[in-house]
Amino acid sequence: MFKKPQLLVALDILCLVTFPAAVVLILFFTPVEAVMGPVQKVFYFHMSAAWVGMLSFIIAAVAGGAYLVTRRIKWDWLSIAAIEVGLVFAVIAILSGMIWARPIWNTWWVWDPRLTTTAIMVMIYFAYFILRSGLNTPETQARLGAVYAILAVATVPLTFFSIRLFRTIHPVVIATGGGGSAFNMSPRMLNALFVSLFVFTLLLADLVWHRFRLAQLQQDADQEVY
Amino acid sequence: MNPILGYLKVVWQILRKEVLIEWRGRQGIPVMLVFALMIVFLFNFALQLSPDLQAGLAAGLLWVSLAFASTLGLNRSINLERENNALDGLLMVPVDRSAIFFGKALGNFLFTTLVGLCLLPVFSLLYQQNMLQFPLLLVLILGLGAYTSLGTLLSALSIQARTRDILLPVLLYPLALPVLIAAVEASQGVLSGGTLGDVDHWIYLLLAGFLLFTASGLLFFETILEE
Repeated sequence: MFKKPQLLVALDILCLVTFPAAVVLILFFTPVEAVMGPVQKVFYFHMSAAWVGMLSFIIAAVAGGAYLVTRRIKWDWLSIAAIEVGLVFAVIAILSGMIWARPIWNTWWVWDPRLTTTAIMVMIYFAYFILRSGLNTPETQARLGAVYAILAVATVPLTFFSIRLFRTIHPVVIATGGGGSAFNMSPRMLNALFVSLFVFTLLLADLVWHRFRLAQLQQDADQEVY
Repeated sequence: MNPILGYLKVVWQILRKEVLIEWRGRQGIPVMLVFALMIVFLFNFALQLSPDLQAGLAAGLLWVSLAFASTLGLNRSINLERENNALDGLLMVPVDRSAIFFGKALGNFLFTTLVGLCLLPVFSLLYQQNMLQFPLLLVLILGLGAYTSLGTLLSALSIQARTRDILLPVLLYPLALPVLIAAVEASQGVLSGGTLGDVDHWIYLLLAGFLLFTASGLLFFETILEE
């Protein structure tokens, strides 16, 4: 139980190697964007963090559903691990976006629908921890947490649909026609983006796994006491 | 007895109970109404609004005051069930617990809509535009239907936490945001002279929110209240 699984050790090492490699690739081996200059490189991290954040919120909802069906506490550990790590990545996505926006839009923040709804999403998941901290037993925490995680993910498409109806100034990378200003990436940029997305996904798996183990160890420690 | 009929009967009895409590105590609607008006006046001073307000601002103000005021009603409605363990009695009703959800959600919807209906003529007077129009009423009913549906569900969630009353707004406002955005945009479109056809995508969004939150109540209310 206390021994670290070998697969996790392997994943740790993989992340330690690939993440710096991705940073080097992005900083030194991608072309500098013609209009925006070097600051455009923030984009690789920005989009990867946003993607990983969204992915982990979906994982949390699926794990929550699995908990409600099976009532096995392990699913709750996965759910809370995914939300905790996802929240950090969502905040990173917002902060890195701000760093990009300062020179490009000439302001740290605009009340653009895309930015506003992302900030709201962060608040939704922040409220998740407020909810859990007010509940007494691990069972209620798991049960109500699961319901809330599912509700939260269910409103995300609504939110994203509502912003599609506004005109947004946020660049649309995966363009589905109309709205925003799409910019075209060269093949080398696209490659770097995919590498970055992949490395961030690895990092997500690694961190969620660690957080999952923490919950496991926490429970073991609690049981030792009683 | 027909199970569907039995289910509907429980929903009706709970709604009737809510209305009776409100009628005899008169503590929900008046408080919400006064609170909503207070917010309107506060905003007037804080933002220095003029009587010939633009349609957008008036619509926003209407929904903000309604959203804040209805949390009072939602909290009160669920707190009544906590007093004297009334909820335990409700839970003993031999019917799917979503019936309790529908009864309470209908009650909350009814009271909040009444507050909204009282606000419309006041807004018409204060901001010099006719707000008593049929399309706006439709937006009001749809928006509040979705909002109170989610609110009733989340109030059952927040009541179980130690932080109870103060938890509900924190959970409700961010989750209800798409519905509030759609409601404000639709109201704004209608108030600036548009027809319902001009704001149809916002109406669809309201409908989607309403269906989603009502279905969540049907699905999860039993899970939330299980002991």
